[in-house]
Amino acid sequence: MGGVLQDSVNAWWPEAILSAGALLVILTTGRRAALTITWVALMAAAAALWRSPVPPPTDVFYGFITCDRFSAAFRWIALGTTALVALMACASRREVEQSRRGEYLGLLLFIAVGLMLMAEANHLLMAYLSMEMVSLSSYLLVGFADQRRSAEAALKYLLFGALCSALMLFGMSLLFGLTGALSFGELRQASYGIAGAALPAALVAGALMLAGLAFKISMVPFHQWTPDAYEGAPIPVTALLSVGPKAAGLALLIRVLEALGPLGERLLPLLLVLTVVTMTFGNLVALVQTNVKRLLAYSTIGQVGYLLIGLVAATAKGREALLVYLAAYLFMNLGVFACALAVFHDTGSESLEAFRGLAQRAPGLSAVCAIFLLSLAGVPPLFGFVGKFLLFSSALQEGWGWVAVAAALNSAVALYYYANLIRLMYFAAPLQATAVRPAMGLRVALAVCAGATLVLGLWPAGVVEWTSRISGTLL
Amino acid sequence: MTLTGLLACPLLGMLIVLLLPKTAVRLIRLTALAATAAAFAVSMGLLLQFDAASPQMQLMQRAAWIPQLNIFYSVGIDGISLPLVWLTTLLSFLACMGSWVIKDRQKEYFALYLLLEVGMLGTFVALDLFLFYVFWEVVLVPMYFLIGIWGGGRREYSAFKFFVYTLTGSLFMLLAILTLWLKLGTFDVLAITRTGRTLEVPLQQWLFAAFFLGFAVKVPVVPFHTWLPDAHVDAPTPGSVLLAGILLKMGGYGFLRMAYPFFPEAARMAGWVIALLGVISIVYGAFVALAQTDFKKLVAYSSVSHMGFVLLGLASLTKEGVNGALFQMISHGLISGAMFLLVGVLYERTHTRQLEDFGGLGARVPVYAGFLIFFSLASLGLPGLSGFVAEFLALLGAFGPWRWQTIVSTLGIVLAAAYMLKVIRQVLLGPLNAKWQTLAEMTWWERCTLIPLMAGVLGLGVYPLALLSLQDAAVQQFLSQVIR
Repeated sequence: MGGVLQDSVNAWWPEAILSAGALLVILTTGRRAALTITWVALMAAAAALWRSPVPPPTDVFYGFITCDRFSAAFRWIALGTTALVALMACASRREVEQSRRGEYLGLLLFIAVGLMLMAEANHLLMAYLSMEMVSLSSYLLVGFADQRRSAEAALKYLLFGALCSALMLFGMSLLFGLTGALSFGELRQASYGIAGAALPAALVAGALMLAGLAFKISMVPFHQWTPDAYEGAPIPVTALLSVGPKAAGLALLIRVLEALGPLGERLLPLLLVLTVVTMTFGNLVALVQTNVKRLLAYSTIGQVGYLLIGLVAATAKGREALLVYLAAYLFMNLGVFACALAVFHDTGSESLEAFRGLAQRAPGLSAVCAIFLLSLAGVPPLFGFVGKFLLFSSALQEGWGWVAVAAALNSAVALYYYANLIRLMYFAAPLQATAVRPAMGLRVALAVCAGATLVLGLWPAGVVEWTSRISGTLL
Repeated sequence: MTLTGLLACPLLGMLIVLLLPKTAVRLIRLTALAATAAAFAVSMGLLLQFDAASPQMQLMQRAAWIPQLNIFYSVGIDGISLPLVWLTTLLSFLACMGSWVIKDRQKEYFALYLLLEVGMLGTFVALDLFLFYVFWEVVLVPMYFLIGIWGGGRREYSAFKFFVYTLTGSLFMLLAILTLWLKLGTFDVLAITRTGRTLEVPLQQWLFAAFFLGFAVKVPVVPFHTWLPDAHVDAPTPGSVLLAGILLKMGGYGFLRMAYPFFPEAARMAGWVIALLGVISIVYGAFVALAQTDFKKLVAYSSVSHMGFVLLGLASLTKEGVNGALFQMISHGLISGAMFLLVGVLYERTHTRQLEDFGGLGARVPVYAGFLIFFSLASLGLPGLSGFVAEFLALLGAFGPWRWQTIVSTLGIVLAAAYMLKVIRQVLLGPLNAKWQTLAEMTWWERCTLIPLMAGVLGLGVYPLALLSLQDAAVQQFLSQVIR
């Protein structure tokens, strides 16, 4: 048994380091110390993740979690998201009181641990715990801005989240009652035995479980919290919520569907319809937004719709596409949020009008912002296009011509609001003449995101190779 | 002289412009001019290297780009693409000279301008569908900014309309490209030309329709043309020149390189639709042009009409018709480019484009009048100039298979005479409008931008074989691929 424990600890260094870092940061009061600890923890976690054996020689933690290549990819995504958001959070002085910075960063690191666990979960209990960990930390972070609006958003988010996790827990209990299994492997085996009268009950249980996950990834009809929570939260938190939980939620969703075996396959048609509804809804409602955070909230819903295509396709190609698009989405979406943050710092406004004439006040910032927006719209040769290209092809491969056409039309609709922002930046006259100077941390975040969006768009071969190895191992 | 070198000229120019400080306007302009001139020089070199007798792809270069997905950087030219490449570099150079009228944000302007040239050239030389699509879309973004920032009138609306229309069309093309990839496992244009015909006919028809949509928006074919008058009118002069001169040809080129050879069966079945749409474009475009009071809008609608001949010639699937279609693309590129430059010259001086505001300018600015009369006559199809050869060939080819359509199309030529002569009458003849007593004559710089186009129009009109001999072998091969 010593072997299992040792392997477990070995595989789990990144999470352990981040947890320890989070606890330390919460206890510190000085701004400088908090920042130092955060960065040390993040760097150490990255180093540990780099060194961690994939896959570990034994079932770590007695099969509660699994550290395969698939989860490794999502751990990197979680870590990358957290690091970029931490850069933004360091730069963000306006929204959060200095004295609460320690807690702020600590919660951020806790979310990172939760996100990693979500991607690794191999057991219903683990899945539930990790999701609650992410959710609870998120509720707190959403309420962190010094505004009433923020508190209101947090409360809405909390109530809606509590309902969804209750639904999910109920589904899990039903499933446990039907199969007597909790670990994903056993669940999968047991799911083949379900037949007759138990089948409808099992399907309901599966659907209820999906509700909880749908909440996390903002899938229609569990998306209502998204715009309000995004609008109320500090911008770095919104950025985190728009990428981290979406990626981890999709990872967990893939595993849960896999664990449900034949039940999962029966739920796929429902998911496919919701996929198309999600992207159409998100893109259409985004058209009429005037607040940049709300706009990006609906844009996120639309983007999740595209991502779901790869998930529902349930083939190696589909997952490969999902992973590539997630990587692209991470950089381009966080990049847009970093731009929004820079504009907010300068003008104190979150309205789209604040972008007016930005190109003349901050040419560099507008140029990278335009790159992110065009990438989100799927214009080549940017990274987002590569992902979209693969997603569309996975839909066509499944013979879902109508889904591909719907996604293409959605891209055209989405171009409308992305281009609108570019129009404001470039074609409109500025309201004031002073230059915009983003903080140092923000500049680094912007440079990383823009570099990745551009370079990986021009030379995506490496990423494609990496993801095809991962998706090949999963099935 | 390689095709990669050709693409590298404007690309390097763009990078240099980006590195220059934005106050160094002179240096930025000279860099852009040098880059476009270098591209033109390379394309002349390609012309010398090119073996016109061979219908094969020449000067091919190929390198792995995303090997996991079977995507290559693959370029090459044949008799269909070479004239278009040459036209692109020529017009880019001349329109770059014409870009001296841009008075603000020059650094951004010239960087985007050079990126646009990369995209246009890439579209004509790409032999990998993925690469082609990338270049195809790369063209959209700089043009969107050129219209939106430096345009006039309702520039924001027009830029946006242009972007959304063409992107929507090309998204369907993207789906077709993906389907081809999934069915045939390759993006290679030459391979798909061989194997595309093996697909079952209903699928061919769907794919042809998707490609058709992407290209028809660009050409533009009535009823997909509504973006064109807005974009052409509101774009700055160099933008209009490239829009009319090159971007419209990308659609025509797409038909010749992809839609037709990939799906010959479907193309033949759709022949009557293409011919009909061609006729509608010719006649409708001409009638609407006749009704215009805005000089630039008139020229824009005349483009719709003239590009209809490309469609008609193509639909004929005869040697004369297809040669005429290709000839028309080059000829229209030269003529419409010149017309937009001429409109720009007048607008710079008078800040109006309303035809009734002018009058009697012929006596005041004789050189301008000479240029305008020359290109108007070319546009209305005067024998001895390139437009006549092109339209004559297209009609000749189409007369066999599409008799009544061809007869109706000739109406377009009559109407062209009507609207072009209307322009000459309203702008140059009649009593001189007192407002323009002091109107300045064309500068040497402006004359220099027009003289090469004049030489081209005259040269191709007098000796059309120069171009026909270049493209004929490739056209023969095209026909053998489609008709077989």
